[in-house]
This record gives sequence, structure tokens and C-alpha cells, in this order.
Amino acid sequence: MTGTGGPAVASTRARQIEAEPAVDERTDIGESTRTDKPWLVIVWNDPVNLMSFVTYVLQKLFGYSKEKATKLMLDVHNKGRAVVSSGTRDRAELDVYRLHEHGLWATMEQST
Amino acid sequence: MSAPFRRQRDGRYAVKLDPGVRALLATMADQLSATVIPGEAMARRLFPPAYPAGGDAAAERAYRKLVDDALVNHHRRAFTILAETAQFDVLTEPELHAWLSAIGSLRLLLGTRLDVSEDTTPPDPEDPAAPEYSIYEVLSQLQYLLVEIVASELPEEGQPEGIL
Repeated sequence: MTGTGGPAVASTRARQIEAEPAVDERTDIGESTRTDKPWLVIVWNDPVNLMSFVTYVLQKLFGYSKEKATKLMLDVHNKGRAVVSSGTRDRAELDVYRLHEHGLWATMEQST
Repeated sequence: MSAPFRRQRDGRYAVKLDPGVRALLATMADQLSATVIPGEAMARRLFPPAYPAGGDAAAERAYRKLVDDALVNHHRRAFTILAETAQFDVLTEPELHAWLSAIGSLRLLLGTRLDVSEDTTPPDPEDPAAPEYSIYEVLSQLQYLLVEIVASELPEEGQPEGIL
């Protein structure tokens, strides 16, 4: 799940992650790119944060629609975790940090 | 009774809260700011690991080194703003967002100390934890109301928030 595509993100990424390897995502398939598998940002269920707050943070940070953010929040609530974004390692770490700023329990791991 | 938080035409927010609630917010923000320390048991929910337990320990150390000071500053700054503006009848947008952030952090701190779980029910009135649990509940109400107002101002499908 990336879902954060769009010009604003592309330009932000260009500013943010200058050292990002020049991998063309359109050709990012096949054995040779296994080490470039995306990093997944995961939000875990926690008993303190309100459901409406989790939905709000996902909308605010990732620009998701209320519908999409609510679905992710319900996945967190019912399944215990949900992947909320994915990308390069640097990008994932930045997303984790922004979620931590908002008090959410977020971790990152590389896609298998 | 009118809404505790209401957006005004000038973009600021009118606050109508009981003086006791305002005093509580100022006191809690003032007192608990000192517990916002990485490694402090009560504050562990403010400094969650980025890498799952049993994962890349070196990466986790690097992450902590990179972000812990910023997280401390972020949370303490929100506490300071909440303590300083708890008596205000009108808040600016950044102040309102600082309230939301600080109240969320207060709930994480108290929720950790109270060991709140999904199944937690309010303690008996005689329970020593009862007063703190009532404070936790008041904060929950306030967080709910603040989320309601800031969420209503989000675009239906917006751009991700600007980073840094």
C-alpha cells in the first residue's frame, strides 16, 4: 500500500531524501531488486488512543480520505495492526517518526 | 450548554470549559512534563520503538539517537503551551493543536501508569487509582471533542501534510 502518490509527495521526497537510489519504480520487479523491497510502516492497536484520533492522524499525515483512514483504523482495531504506508527505508522512518510525534504506536519492517 | 470548543469566524477557537477542568489541565501539563524522558517507564508510549522487538537493534539505536531529543522537545512544547493557555477563552489554531497533542500525551502517560487495557472498566470509588482514572476520563472527553473539531476541518481527500 503506497497510496500517497502525487506530485506533492514526489517533490517532497526529492527534497527530503537526496541520497535515495535512483530506482525507477516502473521497472522495480524481478529477482535483481529483492534488496529494494519496500519498507512497510505499521500501526499497532493500543488501548489508549481514541479510534477517531487514529483516523484523524492517518488523514492528516497521509492525505487519505476519511473512508480509507477509517478502514485502516478498523484494521488496526480489529486485526491488531495495519500497514499505513510503504516506501524507501528513509521515507518509512520519517513516517514512523511523524506517527510517534502523534503518539501512535508505529513500527517499520521490510516487505518479505 | 454550548460546545466546549467552537471555531470562530476569525479562524480562532472559542473555549468554554469549567475552571476546575482548566486548572486540572494546567496542573497535569506542568507536572507530567517532567516525566517526558526516554527510558522512563511511564513515558514509554511516547517513545515507541521504530523497529519491532527482536529486530534490528543497531537500527533502533540509530533511530533513538536521531529522534529522541526532537520527540522530547515536541511533547514538552505542547505541554508548555497547554499550561500557559489553559485559562484562555480564545485559542489560535496552533494553540488548539498543541492542546490536542498535549492531551493525547497526558492520556498516554496516565494510561500507561493506570495500565489501561481494552477491557479496563472504571475502578471502584474506593480504589486508590479512582481519582487518576477520572482525570483520564476527562482527558478522553476533551480529546474526543478536539478531534471532532479538527477532523471536521480536514479536506475530504487532501494532500499529505507538509513535511518539515
